[in-house]
Amino acid sequence: MDEIVAEFIRRTVLKIPVAEIVKILTIWNFLPESQLKNINLRQCKEDISQDVVELCKKGASMKEAAILDIIYHQTYQTKKIWIVYKMTKAPGEEVDLSDMEEFKDSFKKVLQRALRNVHISFRDCEDNAVWIRIAWGTPYMKPNQYKTTYVVYHSQTPFVFVSHGRIKKYIPELWQALMTAGNYQKIQQMELRSIYLDSLKAIVFKQYNQDFQTYHHTPLQEGNAESEIVDPRIIHENIKEKERIQRVTRETFGDCIQPRIEFAQYKLETKFKTDSKNGILAEREEPFRCLVKFSSPHLLEALKSLAPAGIADAPLSSLLTCIPHKAMNYFTVREK
Amino acid sequence: MAVSRKRGALYQLEILETQGFRSGSQQDRPQEQQETETNLEVEILKLRKLRDELRAKVKLQRASARKPITHLEPYEPVNNSEENLEMKLEKAKAFFQAFHLTGLSGKLTTKGVCVCFNTAFEGNILDSYYVELSIQKPLKIHRHSIPVFFPLEQIAAKYLQTNFQQFVYSLSEHLNAYSGRKYQADQLQCGFSTLLARPLQRNSLCTLLSFTYTGEPTGESFPFCARLVYQDLTTTLPTNVTVTYQGTGATPASWEEQRAVHETLFYNKALHKVFESFLRVKENLDCISSVPTSR
Repeated sequence: MDEIVAEFIRRTVLKIPVAEIVKILTIWNFLPESQLKNINLRQCKEDISQDVVELCKKGASMKEAAILDIIYHQTYQTKKIWIVYKMTKAPGEEVDLSDMEEFKDSFKKVLQRALRNVHISFRDCEDNAVWIRIAWGTPYMKPNQYKTTYVVYHSQTPFVFVSHGRIKKYIPELWQALMTAGNYQKIQQMELRSIYLDSLKAIVFKQYNQDFQTYHHTPLQEGNAESEIVDPRIIHENIKEKERIQRVTRETFGDCIQPRIEFAQYKLETKFKTDSKNGILAEREEPFRCLVKFSSPHLLEALKSLAPAGIADAPLSSLLTCIPHKAMNYFTVREK
Repeated sequence: MAVSRKRGALYQLEILETQGFRSGSQQDRPQEQQETETNLEVEILKLRKLRDELRAKVKLQRASARKPITHLEPYEPVNNSEENLEMKLEKAKAFFQAFHLTGLSGKLTTKGVCVCFNTAFEGNILDSYYVELSIQKPLKIHRHSIPVFFPLEQIAAKYLQTNFQQFVYSLSEHLNAYSGRKYQADQLQCGFSTLLARPLQRNSLCTLLSFTYTGEPTGESFPFCARLVYQDLTTTLPTNVTVTYQGTGATPASWEEQRAVHETLFYNKALHKVFESFLRVKENLDCISSVPTSR
């Protein structure tokens, strides 16, 4: 086994938390179960990774190591930032059959024709998606396995999720390969990125907020009314306003959990508005450029709770509430 | 009504009807069974009529003519007492709730109308999909729960503005076919995984399935590789089937016959039914071979 491959496997195993190592190696399916059971997990991680490399010595090549890398990133998706691209077909084209095998072959051929020295690996996952791992090289150097780009593509959808890594200069070749393999005419980057790949999928596939009104389904019962107050003479002073806020919040955000994103960024190019005529900034013709960034462990849920918590007025600004509908979290706000 | 007679809501109703007829004629029926049967038939006719009237009502809403719900009661005498009104309301609600059995139902919402497509395949009720439309001059889809890989925009571009009824029928046809194909693929994958060499490969719309399989659960080899293509998005049976023999060299004569038979089977029967028949053939052969031969 190559030294490079051994080192790569060692470093990949080092990244995995100890409790999950056996699980990930089982999914990898390269080492037999008997050998996996014998790995001593009580040593320090350095030694565990050395043991695994020893076990892989017979027969592991870069191909299998790349699959291990893909599995690691499939399990720990938040280690990368994912950007969403949308591809469009020419209008009037029929739905095509989209054979995943043909897609993979075509993608590999086009990319390898454009650039020599790329190492491409595929891994299918359930829900009809394929993970593509590309290690980039140069015309004179073998692919660098630590400079990788990941692409996630669901068959027959126009969206691609890409995490670029540090290599940006081969993006046009990557786009060309994706468009040719998928039979699309154009590709463009959407203003949407996050570390939570599942949330990005939920936003662009519109899989959140799925409660629709029908006669067949019973509406969700509103639990926990203010039932702890027994004395009917006690009333909430602002109950009307509270109910209005609840209603507006429910109409804007729906009843379901929002998809999880961690920031939204607004680039403002608007003129500074002020009532006073004094000051440097008043009556300035040029737009006042600034960048506003909202961050949160769960931004959309935080926005949803702003009005009920009394911190902001309901309804919230549409710039904040349109994030999932418009599938954007990078905005440029210009003068109207 | 340009309804496809092969699939969709009417087809479901016809299946239920014929099943009812068949089960009735096979036994001696006492008097009350006959009565309930005729009552059910009458009920079905009434439900159909109501459904058609509701559809017409949705159409009228576009032209912003509003008719109150109580006008749709076809057979109750108009009586203004309060309990009667309440009963009528309850009955109307019950009718609307039962509508999902027809596969197509709708409800007015604050923003427009929400159409619900309940799909089914061979008597199994499958997923439901919703499309919310806003009632403005150019009809627009406000939101929907149809998967992103489904050609909703194509169907909408063809029919939504010109012929709303055709849009609803076409969408229902496509959704039922998609659910049917998905059901067959899922059944094959879960129910007959011992007969498959590796997991079934498919695309999102289930219009292309490919798998390597054997007809015998105890066989060690998986001699055949099948590729099913569904060019017509409104069908649940494939339009192209290729079964190839996996071994080396030319197909031996014994396998060739089986291969041809399998190809025909895949063309004509649902996927999981074909595999069920494989297992049945195997069982029959086992029964025959286990009968002791007399000397």
